Amino acid sequence: MSARFKVFRWRAIGPLLFFFAVFIVLWILFADGIARRQSEDALSDLLGTQVDIRHLRIREADAAVDIGGLAIADPRDSTRNLIEAEDLTFDLDPVALAEKKIVIDRVSLLGLGVLTRRETPARRVSADGPTAQLIRQTDEWARDKFTFPSLALGRLDSLKQLVLNPEHLGTVKAVTAVVGRLDSLAGSARRTLDQIAAGTLVDSATALADRLAVLDPRKTSPLEIKNLVEGADHLRRRLDGAGKELAAVQKTVTAVSDGLTQSLAEVNAARERDYAFARGLLKLPDLNAPQFGAGLFGPVSLASFQRALVYAQVAQRYVPPGLQPWNRPGPKRARLAGSDVEFPRERAYPRFLLRQGEVSLGAGEQDAHAFQASFGGITSQPALYGKPATLSASGKLGGREVPLGIQLGVYSLHAGGPSKDSMTLRLTDIELPAIEVEGVPFTLTPGRGTVGFAFAMSGERIAGTWTLAAPSVRWAADTSRVHGETSAEGLLWRVLRGLTDLKVRADLGGTLASPTLAVRSNLDDAVAGSLRAMLGEELEKAEAKAREAVDQLVGPQVAALRGQYDTFMADLAKRVPLEQGQLDAADKRLAKEVKRLTTGALGGIQIPKL
Amino acid sequence: MLVLLKMLQSLFKTLHSEGSPGQVAAGFVLGAGMGLTPILAAHNLVLFAALVLLNVSFAGGMLGLASFTPLAFIFDPLFDRIGAALLRSQALQGAWTDWYNVPLVPYTGFNNTVTLGSFAAWLVLAVPIYFAARRGIVYYRATWGARVMASRWMKGLKASKAYNVYNWFRPE
Repeated sequence: MSARFKVFRWRAIGPLLFFFAVFIVLWILFADGIARRQSEDALSDLLGTQVDIRHLRIREADAAVDIGGLAIADPRDSTRNLIEAEDLTFDLDPVALAEKKIVIDRVSLLGLGVLTRRETPARRVSADGPTAQLIRQTDEWARDKFTFPSLALGRLDSLKQLVLNPEHLGTVKAVTAVVGRLDSLAGSARRTLDQIAAGTLVDSATALADRLAVLDPRKTSPLEIKNLVEGADHLRRRLDGAGKELAAVQKTVTAVSDGLTQSLAEVNAARERDYAFARGLLKLPDLNAPQFGAGLFGPVSLASFQRALVYAQVAQRYVPPGLQPWNRPGPKRARLAGSDVEFPRERAYPRFLLRQGEVSLGAGEQDAHAFQASFGGITSQPALYGKPATLSASGKLGGREVPLGIQLGVYSLHAGGPSKDSMTLRLTDIELPAIEVEGVPFTLTPGRGTVGFAFAMSGERIAGTWTLAAPSVRWAADTSRVHGETSAEGLLWRVLRGLTDLKVRADLGGTLASPTLAVRSNLDDAVAGSLRAMLGEELEKAEAKAREAVDQLVGPQVAALRGQYDTFMADLAKRVPLEQGQLDAADKRLAKEVKRLTTGALGGIQIPKL
Repeated sequence: MLVLLKMLQSLFKTLHSEGSPGQVAAGFVLGAGMGLTPILAAHNLVLFAALVLLNVSFAGGMLGLASFTPLAFIFDPLFDRIGAALLRSQALQGAWTDWYNVPLVPYTGFNNTVTLGSFAAWLVLAVPIYFAARRGIVYYRATWGARVMASRWMKGLKASKAYNVYNWFRPE
């Protein structure tokens, strides 16, 4: 008889417990390291830059995580960190943790550094990461939407080498296009006028009127009068139709001539651009003051706006409005990652929430800290939380010769309407990085100064301001590229090296599709004025020669176009009213003769007496 | 090498004498579950515990795991689509939302398309796999088993046994 079948294998409990014990030991040994690496990878992907964490400790019993040595590299300058935090402690909500949600009740921070030098340059994060893609797209957007005037200067005597290729001139193309339109319009108008054949009609009407004029109605039979009147009426209808067609031609030509006038204005604009092109070939400096601000500080101010735009877009990407289920990539593994679908519920914990945090670095710590920051409402699902994410920080960070002053405010609302993200930042006594001025061999070292920055994005609309004030800037020149005191670089260098106070303001506006950027600095007028005084006469001559070179190539074509246009318009202006007048006169005369004939005929009829 | 030898040992022990065909097939089904679904998922702890604690063939489970893991890589795109269809099904939105907000349940990773799709596929295939495996073992033991056991390399394989932790989990 077989033994009773047993469902459970009780003797395996020991090995199973051993297995779990091994699992716990492995967790204790490796969980912190795995969590640290995963946190580094996730944050690097999120921020699009290298994030280092020196150590991470999970305190399971306290539902807390300690992070030491957090360093976030600057995505646009691999040699420095945007933020360094020495010790960070996150106290988590254990109930939310059971739901696989991270709700941070409290954050404490010790040791904070901003814009610090890195010991080793940051490595580039994966170009396929979502934030790296956003950075790349923002770079392309900036290249596409903004062009800054080049300050490339050359020797003024390079005018002699100016050779223009007609194919490179926009005026030639514009003239060709307008001539084509004008030919087409003129041909069409003439054909229509010929088809109307106003002259033939007028001749016929005149001949008929002459014939009617010699007829005596009393001696003409009623039948003949009837036939003649019918013929005259038919001819008058044709005269009337021809008049209407002439009016239509006039109307069409007027409408098209407005377009042609616009085209001629475009030809003139193209000619101005060709002048600028020729001037560019000569590398003549533009002495308009705003050009200097845009040329000198356009790229560096735009870089700040680009950075803010990337983070605003990251926020909009990772913090979507609404409660609808949405997908994020699944965990990285050897197998297909798939997608994680989230199912948020109202009045439940969001997947991530930093309820409230305060950072206070008291005086005496690292010599001179007096810094406070508070933040809250930072969540991945703002529709669940319903309040904006805010961050405000102010104070001074010591540990350096002069403490760095920081005032920061961030506001992000992704609930109840279009997403709104904004930030303001003011850094005082900050050591500003050197600025290489594109196109000219000068480097600006602003030294210590104040940077103000504000940026806001609401839906498609963007707005921002970037200001820089530095009271003691230094200029350095690459002397090997400054071709003597009389060159444009030499002259500009003489102006710049005497300017030590710098104030710059850049204003961003418009929409993502059509942004605007205006950059002004206190150098603009000074540089433009000085250069104009030094180079004005020479530049005027050079510009006149540049214009002459363009005019030699395009002048005859433009003149011919103008002549052709004037002739056409004059021809129409003369012919249409003339023919219209002839048609009217012929019609009136015919009407008069018909009336005379029919009145006379009736006058001869004997009406019987009643 | 030791791991490979042990796998072979377990394979042949499984096929020959360790437990009834039903026990081996049941273990095989549980192993298939672990092989088809992503291994680092909470439900696999349950499957593993079941494989250990239930009186089924542990070696059969290992065989199922080894057999279905490569298939899982091949069928992952299909699992992804099945999981996505289930997670986006309007009829199931309420259930998913409830589950998603119940403590500990989100750790199962059920809201991942591949995890859910592969688990659903395993559930559907579990019964066919069980009967196919049982029939295959019966057939093997009746036809090829004796010859294989008597072969020279099988004897060598048996002689190489150094340590066999599977004895702990032999079906009773």
